[in-house]
Amino acid sequence: MKIYTGTGDRGKTSLFSGQRISKTDDRIEAYGDMDELNSIIGALVASLGPEYSDPVEELQQIQTDLFAISALLATTPDSPSMDTIAGVGQDHIEFLEKSIDRMSDALPELKGFILPGGHSTAAWAHMARTVCRRTERRIVRFLDASFKMQAPDSYQRSLIYINRLSDYLFVAARYCNHLFDTPEKLWQK
Amino acid sequence: MRVPSSVETKAQNYASELKERRWLSNKSFEITLTKPKDFRYIPGQWIRLSHHAVERDYTLVSAPTDPHLALCIRNIEQGTLSAGLSNAPVGSHFNFNGPHGYFTYRPSPRPAVFVATGTGLAPFVSMARSGVTGFLLLHGVNSTEDLYYAAVFKSAAKQYVPCISEADRSSGEYFQGRVSDYLRKILAPGLYDFYLCGRGEMIRDVTFLVDEKFSGSLIFTETFY
Repeated sequence: MKIYTGTGDRGKTSLFSGQRISKTDDRIEAYGDMDELNSIIGALVASLGPEYSDPVEELQQIQTDLFAISALLATTPDSPSMDTIAGVGQDHIEFLEKSIDRMSDALPELKGFILPGGHSTAAWAHMARTVCRRTERRIVRFLDASFKMQAPDSYQRSLIYINRLSDYLFVAARYCNHLFDTPEKLWQK
Repeated sequence: MRVPSSVETKAQNYASELKERRWLSNKSFEITLTKPKDFRYIPGQWIRLSHHAVERDYTLVSAPTDPHLALCIRNIEQGTLSAGLSNAPVGSHFNFNGPHGYFTYRPSPRPAVFVATGTGLAPFVSMARSGVTGFLLLHGVNSTEDLYYAAVFKSAAKQYVPCISEADRSSGEYFQGRVSDYLRKILAPGLYDFYLCGRGEMIRDVTFLVDEKFSGSLIFTETFY
């Protein structure tokens, strides 16, 4: 099956809610970064491998949540299409928070800045964390420009989720080093 | 009648049985399948039908309130499943997974323009059978023989315009040309909700035309191959 129709060949793309907009629009920048973030989490999943089924399942749930947020970002809030978009709820945010707490309990106390890296899985988690922060900045820029921070609840919840996900990925990076017995390197001035 | 734009439609596996086959033209037929009790869908959604380990996606042409499921099939010689469906005996068992897809009608104050090529008409048949009315429908076909659903749209559509691009140009009842020609030459500039279903080339051509002539309109698409 062909995956291309060529409707984006002239610099515009279609939103899920039907509008045709420029590919440089803040909204497109925001969900483009979501796509990048999701792909890097995919690389983290691949580097963990199927034998680490618990973290893999957890990360794949996060990938699914990111799709839900991307769909939301591709939909204007006043459109009927919004009826078909679930986005993420408080339970998704709590899922991240519980996982952060659970991983943190297994880790030694943090005594300074750590150099991003260590085991390759940890390096992917750090990459995902930094892209997650950029994604968050893009979403804020888009919400600022479009809603003057009076964005609908579904968008606000997405922003909270992405903010929490950065924390999750930081702890996940440390947890990966712990999982693979790789020492963390502290920043030395 | 207002058609719900959202219901809980999580895709699942279902078993079904062939109830009836009705030939619509030399090449196309509609099959009726039993409807599993807990199966729910929105007009415009599709199912993945499997038979003897072959899978193919088909948009439902029935209305969700109908007691059965219906699919419009174009018999393609190389199409293993369509050939199988064209002669499977009544009572044959099929499995399907669904419902899938987001090509559903979204009521709005703007006029709706439905554009289909060939069997890309399927989602609009389901919508019309479900009570969606007042739309302009452009249907690009090769021959008048492919206009077998005209009766469905007689009362539902504000206007049903078959666009015949190649053969059978004898009758004045039809627009002679492509659907994109109709949009370019006849439809007045303005804001519309366009629903496009059919070949990728049509979707690309109409999308560019909307960007140029109907800028600010909405476009929803489903590509049929």
